[in-house]
Order: sequence, then C-alpha cells, then structure tokens
Amino acid sequence: MDKNTVNQRREFIKKMGTASLVAASTSIPTASFLSSCNTPAPINTKADTVILLWMAGGMAHTETFDPKAYAPYEKGMESKRILSSFPKVPTVVDGLDFSEGLESIGSIMDKGAIIRSYKSADLGHILHTRHQYHWHTCYEPPQSVQVPHLGAWIAKELGPINPVIPPFISMGQRFTVGEGEELKAFHTAGFLGSEFGPFLIPDPSSGLESVRPPQGMSLKRFEARYKLYKELTEKSKVMERGSDYQRESLMRSMEQSYRLLNSPESMVFDLTQEPQEKYNIYNTGRFGLGCLTAKRLAMNGARFVSVSTEYEPFLGWDTHENGHTRMIKMKELIDGPVAQLIKDLDESGHLDRTLIILASEFSRDAMLEGRPGKTVKDQVRNQPDIIEDEKFYGMHRHFTDGSSILMWGGGIKKGLVYGKTADERPCSSIENTVVIDQVHQTIYHALGIHPETNYTIEGRPFYTTPDGQGKPILDLFA
Amino acid sequence: MDENALNWIFQLLGRLHPLAVHFPIGLLVVALFLELLTLNGKRIGLREGINWMIYLGAGFSILATSFGWLLRTFDDYSGELVELHQNLGIATALFAVITALLLQKTLSGNISNYLAYRSMLVLSVIFLSFTGHLGASLTHGEDFLSSVLPNNSESYDENKSVVLLAKLDKLDSLSENQLDDLNLGVRAIFAHNCYQCHSENKQKGELVLETKKGVFQGGESGEVIVAGNPEESELYKRITLSPNDDLVMPKKGKVLKANEIALIKLWIEKGAHWSDRTLKIFPEAELALTKPELPATTKEKHPVDKLVDVYFEKNDIDWEDLVDDKTFIRRAYLDIVGLLPEPDVIHQFENNPDSDKRSKLIDNLLNDKQNYTQHWLSFWNDLLRNDYSGTGFITGGRKQITDWLYTSLLDNKPYNSMISELINPTAESEGFIKGIQWRGLVNASQRTEMQAAQNIGQSLMGINVKCASCHNSFVSNLTLDQAYGFASIFADSVLELNRCDKPIGKMAKVNFLYPELGAVEADSLKERLLKLSEVMVKPENGRLYRTITNRIWERLMGRGIIEPLDEMDNAPWDAALLDWLAADFIASGHDLKHLMKMIMTSKVYQLPTIDYKKLEQIKSSKYVFEGPIIRRLSAEQFSDAVSQIISPVYYAAAFDPTGEGFSTRRIWHRERKFDRDVLPEPGKRYFRHKFNLTKKEIIQAKAIISVDHSYTLYLNEQKVSMGADWRKVDKFDVTRYLNTGENIIAIEGENEGKIANPAGILFVMRILQKDSLETIIQSAEVSEEGEDWKSTDIIPEENWLTLEFDDKEWGSVLNYGSKHWDRLLSYNFDDNVSSYARASLVRQHPFMKALGRPSRENVTTSRDNQATLLQALELTNGEFFNKVLEDGASTWLEENNYQGEKIVDALYQKSFGRMPTKKEKNIMLSILGERPDKEGLQDLFWATLLSPEFQFIY
Repeated sequence: MDKNTVNQRREFIKKMGTASLVAASTSIPTASFLSSCNTPAPINTKADTVILLWMAGGMAHTETFDPKAYAPYEKGMESKRILSSFPKVPTVVDGLDFSEGLESIGSIMDKGAIIRSYKSADLGHILHTRHQYHWHTCYEPPQSVQVPHLGAWIAKELGPINPVIPPFISMGQRFTVGEGEELKAFHTAGFLGSEFGPFLIPDPSSGLESVRPPQGMSLKRFEARYKLYKELTEKSKVMERGSDYQRESLMRSMEQSYRLLNSPESMVFDLTQEPQEKYNIYNTGRFGLGCLTAKRLAMNGARFVSVSTEYEPFLGWDTHENGHTRMIKMKELIDGPVAQLIKDLDESGHLDRTLIILASEFSRDAMLEGRPGKTVKDQVRNQPDIIEDEKFYGMHRHFTDGSSILMWGGGIKKGLVYGKTADERPCSSIENTVVIDQVHQTIYHALGIHPETNYTIEGRPFYTTPDGQGKPILDLFA
Repeated sequence: MDENALNWIFQLLGRLHPLAVHFPIGLLVVALFLELLTLNGKRIGLREGINWMIYLGAGFSILATSFGWLLRTFDDYSGELVELHQNLGIATALFAVITALLLQKTLSGNISNYLAYRSMLVLSVIFLSFTGHLGASLTHGEDFLSSVLPNNSESYDENKSVVLLAKLDKLDSLSENQLDDLNLGVRAIFAHNCYQCHSENKQKGELVLETKKGVFQGGESGEVIVAGNPEESELYKRITLSPNDDLVMPKKGKVLKANEIALIKLWIEKGAHWSDRTLKIFPEAELALTKPELPATTKEKHPVDKLVDVYFEKNDIDWEDLVDDKTFIRRAYLDIVGLLPEPDVIHQFENNPDSDKRSKLIDNLLNDKQNYTQHWLSFWNDLLRNDYSGTGFITGGRKQITDWLYTSLLDNKPYNSMISELINPTAESEGFIKGIQWRGLVNASQRTEMQAAQNIGQSLMGINVKCASCHNSFVSNLTLDQAYGFASIFADSVLELNRCDKPIGKMAKVNFLYPELGAVEADSLKERLLKLSEVMVKPENGRLYRTITNRIWERLMGRGIIEPLDEMDNAPWDAALLDWLAADFIASGHDLKHLMKMIMTSKVYQLPTIDYKKLEQIKSSKYVFEGPIIRRLSAEQFSDAVSQIISPVYYAAAFDPTGEGFSTRRIWHRERKFDRDVLPEPGKRYFRHKFNLTKKEIIQAKAIISVDHSYTLYLNEQKVSMGADWRKVDKFDVTRYLNTGENIIAIEGENEGKIANPAGILFVMRILQKDSLETIIQSAEVSEEGEDWKSTDIIPEENWLTLEFDDKEWGSVLNYGSKHWDRLLSYNFDDNVSSYARASLVRQHPFMKALGRPSRENVTTSRDNQATLLQALELTNGEFFNKVLEDGASTWLEENNYQGEKIVDALYQKSFGRMPTKKEKNIMLSILGERPDKEGLQDLFWATLLSPEFQFIY
C-alpha cells in the first residue's frame, strides 16, 4: 500500500508553483499572485477527538429529533394518520422541538447543532447492515477490497493522542448476534492494515478487563513476567544477529502493549471511580455506560470512540412492531447519558476539542419502505391499514429519504438547525440535503484530515470518500 | 478564537517563502562566483559588492527560513521530504550567517586570511543547492529532474518515436505494416500525453483520443484530424502553438517534443491510418513461458541452484553456508505440514548420517497427506476466498468449496485439473466463480459475474481486472470492453457495459483476456465455461503456471520472484528461474508437491535468512535476491504450535474432515423478546426428556455431553455427572442408570455471564440391547420419537427429576444451531481422536483475526504479518489465550511431576528444538521457584511463545 503524496504534491504545486513564478518574474505585482491563488483554505483543526453515538437499527426521525403532527393511539385509527406517535416538547433552542422523552438532550441543544436533512443511499433492498457499512465506511458494499471504517482512517492519519490509549475504540456491539458477519465486514481497518483496526469492547461495563493485566494476575506478577520476557529474548540466539524489521516490530508491539496494560490511564475504564450519582444517570444499560466510558476516554486522550446501541435484528431501534412502546424504552436508554456526556465534557472544557456525533443508518416510517418513487421489497407485510391492536402503532418500515444527525463540540455552531424535512408524508429531506460523503468530510475537516488523503490499493487510489469527492458542510462550523 | 485571528498574517508570510528563497539563492551563488574571480588577489574592486551580497544573502536566508517555517506550520505540510528540506534550510541559513560573520572578522583583521570564510561560503552554497533541490522536488514532484533523464521512463520508451520517425520519415510510401507501426507510435504519444484529459474515462472538450471513433469524430469544436493535411488539422495546430499560448496542447508550459510532433505530422500526412492492432502502453509479460536452458557453466547440481548461481555471479553475491539440521527441519516442518517437529524427531534427524536425509525428510512430510492438507488449506482459502463464515452466507448468497478443496489437496490433484474444476465447476466447486451475492442493489463492477472475472484474474492469472471493471484501466492495458467480455463468459444473459456504474448503451461481447489462447464464445453458459476451462490450462498460458509458481516460491522463501504477487506483468528478479520452475511444474504433470520439492531441495532454500531493516526493502522493485527472508508464523501455524506444545487452542472445527455423524446443533430454553427468538439470558434452566426402551436386556449404554456453560446430568433421578467446560466432551458409561421401559433424562444447565449470550446442550446416548438393537437418544428440538425435550427457566419443585413429574407447563426447547460452537472433534464415542482442531479448519475467530487471518470477503494473497499493538494486546491479556496457557500449565505440572528443571528442559526442546543455555535455565528456574506453581509456569509459557525464536521462521 502506498500513501499517495501525489495529490498533496499537486496541492503544493498549486500553492507554490504560482508563487515561484511570481518570484521569478518581477513584471507581475505581488498582489495579483495573492488574488490568483485559488487554493482551498487550509484546514485549521477544530477537534482532536471524535465520539460517535451510533443508533443502530434505524431511528425514526419523526419519533425523536424531528417530530411531526402527533396522532395519539386510538383503536381503529388509520395507519396513514401516524406521523409521530409522541407529542412535541420544546428544547432550549427557540423554535426547535423534539419528541417527548428526549427532554434532557433537548436541554443541551444550545451546545450543538442538528442536521435534519440526512438522506441515506439508495441501495435497493433496505438492509440495516448494508446501510451501516455504507455509513461507517462511506463506500457502498460490496467492494472489491476491504474498505476501512471511519475510525480506522482517523487512527491511521492522526494516530493516538495518548500513546497508551488505542486510537480507535468501538464499544457496545457484539458480533455473536444475528448478522454478526455483516457487522464485522465494516468493523475493520481493511486495507489500512490491522494496526488501525478497532479495539473492541462489546460490554463497556467490563471495559477495564480489556486494558488490565489478565484476570487474576497481580501487577507485580505482570511486571515480573514482562521482565522475564525481556531477559529471555535478549539472550536468545535469534536476537544475536543484526536488526530485522520483523523482530523490531514484535518487540515494539510487546513494549507498547505492556505500557498500555500497566499504565494509570487504564483506570479510565474503571467506572466505579465515577461518583455514584453521576454513574446512576449514565447507567441506563450498556449504551449508557458506553457513554460514560467515552467521556472518560475523551478526557484522557482518546482519538476515536464509537458507542453503539447494539444492533440485533428486530431489536433496539429496529422496531418492526410495537414501535411506539419500544420507542419509549429506547429514549430512556439514550436521553440521560447522551445529555450528561455533553454536559460533563462541556464542564471539563473538553467539548471544544471533541466532536460528538449522534446518527443512525436511516429512519423509519409507518407507511413508506425505502423512499418515495422507489419500489423496494416491503419488509413489513402485516402492517394493517386500520389499527386494531396497539402493537401496530409506530414506525415499522425503513425510510431512507430523511433523518436526523446531531453534532456537538469540535467547532460546530451552537444552537444551529440545519436542513429540514417535510411536515407531511413523505417526511423527506427538502432543504440542504446531506449525504454520507459530506458527513465524513465534515468530520475529517474538523480533524484537519485533507480531503484528498488516499492510498493506492492494488493499483487504484482509494480516498477517504469515494474518488475524494466529498465536501465538508462548512455552514455547520462556527 | 483571538489567538487564531492573526493566523492569516503568518499564513500569508509563509506563502511568501517561495518568493523569499530566491534572494539568498541568487545572492550567495553570485557571491561565490565573484569570489572565485577574486582568487589570487585579482579584481579587488569586486570586494565591496561581494561583501554586500554576502550580508544580504545571509539576511534573506534567515527571512526565507522563517517564512518556510511559517508555511509549514500554518499550511500543514508534513512528510520526510518537508522535514529534510526544513532542516537543510535551517542549516543553510546558519552557514550563511557564519559565512557573513567570518567575512566580517576577516575584513576587520581578526582572521588573517580569507580561507575560513571562503570554505564556509562554498559549504553554504552546497547546502543551498541541496535545499533548493528538495524545495523544487516538493513543488514539482520528486521525479521532476530524474524523469527527463534518458532511460528513466519506466513504462514508455520515447526512443521508440525517434527510431520510428527515422525509419519512416525518408520513405515515399509505407507498407500496411509500417502504417500500423506509425499509428501505434502516434497512439503511444497520445496515451502518455493526452489520455489524462482525453480518454473515455475523462472526456474533456468531448474529445476522446483513445479510440478510432473518438479521434476521427473530434471534439466539441469539430473534427481534429484532416487526413493528409496536417496544417488543416486542429490537433496538429494545437500541438504546434507557442508553449506560452493559452490554447497550446497538451498544456501551457508542457508541449510535445519535436520528434513527437514530427511523428504525428507524418501520420496525418500519410493519411492518418488507424491500425486494428491494440496499443499496449503498459509493459506486459509474455503469455507463453520462455523455455530457458539450464546453464552449463556452473558447478551447481540442482537446477534451481544452477540458475541462481548465474544470478549470484551476475550480482556479485557469494553462496553462504547452508543452515544446520535443526534450522532446516523446523523450516521444512512448518512449510509443509505447518507444525513443529517433536524433540525426538529433531534429535534423530540430527544424528542421521544419511547424506540424502533432507530430501527424504521433504518426501516424508509431503506424504503426510492430512497434515499437508490441513496446513496448505489456509493458503488456498485465502487465495480462493473460501471461508466457513462471513458475509453472504446468511441468505445463501455464498457457497463454500471446502469439501472439494480439502479432497483436491489430499489427493494432490494436478493443478490444471483444479483450475478446470474451479472454472467449469461441479456443485462442490462452484462457490469460487459464484462469488458473493449481496442483497439489494450492488455496483455494476461488483456483480457476481464481474467478481468471477476479477477473482480469476487476481488469484489465478496475477492480473488486475478490478480496475478495468469500472473503466479502462489506468494500471494496465485492460479495457472496460475486455473486462465485460471476460465477465460475460459467466453471465446467463448479455451484459451491458457500465462505466463507473452508469450504463453506456454498449453490449458486451464474450471474450477471454487472452484471445490468442482460443475462442470461448458459445451459446450456453455451460459450454462457455467448458471452453474457458480448457483454454485456461493450456501450456501456452504460461501466465497461469508462472503465477502459482511465484506464489509457492513466496510462501517458502518469504518474497516472490515477482512482487506484488498479483501483478504478474512486473519484472521478475530472475526471469529464467521463474520460467524454468513453471515449465518444470507443467512437465511434472502440474504436480504442486513436485514444485515444492524442487524449491525445497535446492541449496537456495537452505541458505540462512537475510535481515532487513524495513519491509520496503523487500517489496522494492530494486530488490536483489540473497537468500530467504525471516517470516513470522501465520495465525494458524502459531495456534497449531501452541496446541502441540501447551494445550489445545481449538477443540472444535467448522469443517471436520473425518465427518462424524451426530448432530452438533445445541438446544436451550427458548427465550423470546418482542415475539422474537433471542440469545438466552444468563441463569439456570431446567431440561427434561422422557424416552422408552423396549423390554430387551440392556447390554451397554454410553453417553457424551457438552454444555455451554455448565450442567448437572441426572438419569432416572440419579446424578450422573457435572461439567463446566463445553470444549471438552464428557464421556461415560451409563448402563447402570437405565431401565427397560420408561426413562427420564434431567439436566440442570446454567448460562454464565452478565448479558445474554449463547448457551446450549449437546447430548447423545447410545444404548445397545440384546439382538443388536441400537437406540440413539439425542438432544434435539423434536426428538425422533416425536417426544419433545422440555425446559423451564423457573426453579422447579424438588421432584422434577422424576418420571412422574408433570412438565406440561414447561416450555419447549429451541435449537440454537451449531454456529457458536462448531463441531467438537471429540464429540463421538471413540476415545482416540485428535485432541485439538487444526486452526485452518476453524471458523474465523477474534484470536485468529488478531493474529492476521484475513476475512475472506475478498481474495487475500499476502497477509500482513508484521506485529501490531492490537495483536500484542490479544496475546498479553486476552482471556482466550490466557485460558489456553492456564490449562496447559495444569497438565504440564502433573505430567512433569512439578519438577522445575524437567519442565524447563522440555519447554525449550519442544518450543525451540534445543536445550536451554545455563543462563536461560537459571532465569527460568528463578521464576518457577522451589515448588513450581501454575502461575509461574503460565508466565514461562507466555515468555517462550512470544519470543522471536518461537514466533519466526528463521
């Protein structure tokens, strides 16, 4: 794999070629050199750390952050009347309403922005894992090579902040559940090399175990064991000869791992250190504890952390029936921890340099599968036109034409509402439509990763976004 | 906010760097020149001027350096080149200042002569030149200078146009052949200078210079060629404009060379003939093998050594002494069967006086069919993208070829037959060309037919079809037409070409990439596959055999004769060696084991390994072969070696070549959430199953059980056994617990953990009764007698173990399948089965993944085998590996009677094939102490298994 410097070089030519010409020729006044210089503004980094709060399974925008007309449940009501199954509640931002049950997140919207116009790709048959793959890698599956996760790109380009905290940590998702293989397909560093792959912590409440000496091993024994290792390898005949890259990289990786496991930073994962009161706010389940861990990580030099409400087919946000009732539970799961995460980072002063994103692969609707004008396989065939049973009350189909993304910190404008969706069905994005390439490029922009960053894989250049075409949404930044 | 407000100023100043640097360059260089004129006391009048130039030059060099620093800081430039440029720049400025100071001291009389000052000035100008050159490299590209040097154009020999012009220019009339040559010469010029903007991929001004149609159709401003009349041809007019003209082509500041223009002119004059021959821009390897003769001049005996001897001679390399027996046997074992040699085997081998013993060892190992297969299976799984789990299987969009592959390797099937069977497959081998079918819409370049073309191209032929499946390739001569023609072979219907996922209204025409091998057109898919399978394996298709030969060489030696392995158009470091081996491979009857033996019996294989400081040195195109390369144990080799020495790493395989018959699907209490079956929550569950035995004498009954996580088994109210490790199958005689008539099995199971996770019971009982009556009772969703296993998650009343207990209220069990556990090798009534599963047979697992086993969604032909932090973490604190070491420690302590010295000796012999040195032994014993315990031993294991001596094949 070759990192392509050609493009940076091309940039360089653009920036400097003109300048050298000017320097060489006195006939052109300096001012014209400046005005003719059409180079893109250099990226001033706005964030060092990214936290991705992943709402796996398709979170309905009309039931959460973009509520529409409320249609309370009545036996015998028509399915098509349901736009929102919850009433609206105001947030701290004037004119911005959320759906009932998200009051805490509403109270911190003066610290961040909401994008209401995200549009998922059209991948035919609507499938969670394919859309999640697309969201996390920016490439539509399948690909002829293994493409990296967003976190892996960031780990590769920026490396760790604190050398003992892995630069790409992924929490909350197990791979033993249904479609686990499809989930694994994008939890990878792909062609960037396993070095930049995710450090997986399926259960954040036991995250500490992943970064401490093996269970049952005292620190003293752990240190003695490493000392033994060093002594023996130094005496080994394989070490006698000159330096070899294989040996060097082995010794280096062992040293790093020893330092990480033996470092005070690992206590970041020890959630018992958190004051009980605060712990209780976060403790809504694995996702909530993931948020707490993410906070502690961000404060101690993590680079990229994702926390997922676990994806398991037909569970979590993936409501194919009982949509309304289950939505209540999901809101309870996220509302407190997400709000507390933002507050805590704000209070500690870390919010400025930490970009937090809350998103989902697509939205849901009571009537439409996919998007208007596209016929795709309807995956909820038993949704009746007239609802006689409350289990049919809710958003049970996959909707790809509009959904919400929330962002805080990392230079993002405060109190901004960007884009909007229609108030009547179809509740599609109708203003400032945002696609995934823009989301990725916005994140890279905040981190100062150049949009033309690319590597040559099997002879072909692969960019952070397909063909390097993604553009950041500069309006989001303060 | 505030502190950034002034950034623009710094940024602006930074961007003045390119302007500022030219002052010191000009001033100091001229100063040096003038200084030279004053040598020997001549031209004293220049002194004052020189002085000013030196002072100004020094001043500006500081300014330029400061601006440069700002540019780097505020415009975010980074990289080695930038750093070097910066450091040299600082040094230059420093030297310039010192020069100025020395000059001043000299002038004021503190220094008696000009020598120090002049030397410093020379040094400054030398540094200045280097810095300036690096700066230019940054701006214009590193190859800015070298690219115009003769013989530096890798893919395109511009001398060709000179020669061609000289040859054709003088002739009055050209033959058909000469016209073809002329046209191809012109098209090569187009390719290198114009395609960037005027190709099918990027049609600037609607002009395409890649095809006949495009060239004669012209662009948005009309036709560009008037045959016979260059002066009227827009194309010729544009390339002959002044280099500063805005309309000049290729672009302002970069024009064609005179001979190139002349050649294009000649071509138009001669009627702008278009040749049907295809233009090859990129170097392409000959399809057929050259038939190199073995060199006669060398004294070496082995064919490979003869060839390499000539190569060594040419590259001035001496033969080193061959490695000792210990090193050799370790290499040979790991390379052929993927296992470590046992200590006594090593010992015997070392003491064997037979001079031919190495060759015999290779034969013996190659004849160990099962182990050979179970090692090389991983290589083929990677190459053919075959796996036991992964994307696609969930909806049947993917098919394994494991059975076919395993048998093929076991029988050492000739390579040509293997290829024929992959391309024109049976049901067992069709998984390779069927590809992976994802649900929903996929990019046109990822349709399964195209996957077949891509994978055959990459895995078998070492050519990149992926690029050309989206647009005309820019890494090879392959076109979109060719890729679609190839893919069409596998299609049921005619394919429409898509460029970058957009249909272009052109239908594909069936064609293989190398039509010279024979036609593959036919009406039916089946016939086309048959034809392709015949065409592919022809001996004329040297590329097929060269590709596999190169791959096997790389496996055994650490670096291919051609690299990367999938780019077989690249130049080999020794073409004769590669082609001779490939030809010999064909002559042997396409015998893969013959090829391996040919390589491994050579002296070349037995040379000591070479150290490299950087991976790039090995992958470099300038690589010179000196000997084998240090390799790291693969994930599978490491895991198997640990299983061999310490304790089984894997007990269960996804693919069991012995194929025992019992179902491996596990049952557990059915758990539901929102009307969906979900993974079971932790906690205790209770199971019951009633069965009837006919009234015949029970001769013998045996039971085997494995439960995730733990269980207590009762038969007819009596406790039979308990267990807490599902990986180890518990086996026992249960004759005495059974009665004729009604019987009751009761199992109390527990699922551990904090969150829902897989749990399951696997149980079989075999009952032999008089008159050879055999009954099998298995855990199953619905038993064969139609009677269910029942279960509950509520603590039952005490009499739940009895036949009479009423379990009507209990729920039904659910079959949780076998995915989470796979097939336990010891899950049968036989006591003598292999105690561990070879890692090649195991489903992808986090431990394997951490050690570098790829996910096989895509073809993977070389693994990333450098150590990484995530890997080290997995090995250092991973629960999985730690458990293996713990299990091993218990067994070892008992087997060695808790004797420290015995343990250390055994560990060294088994792991490294040698005794510990005194020092090593002392270190080890100091950890173990007087009375060795589990923890101490576990730590010794860890330190041993992670040491380079264990991890590497050296």
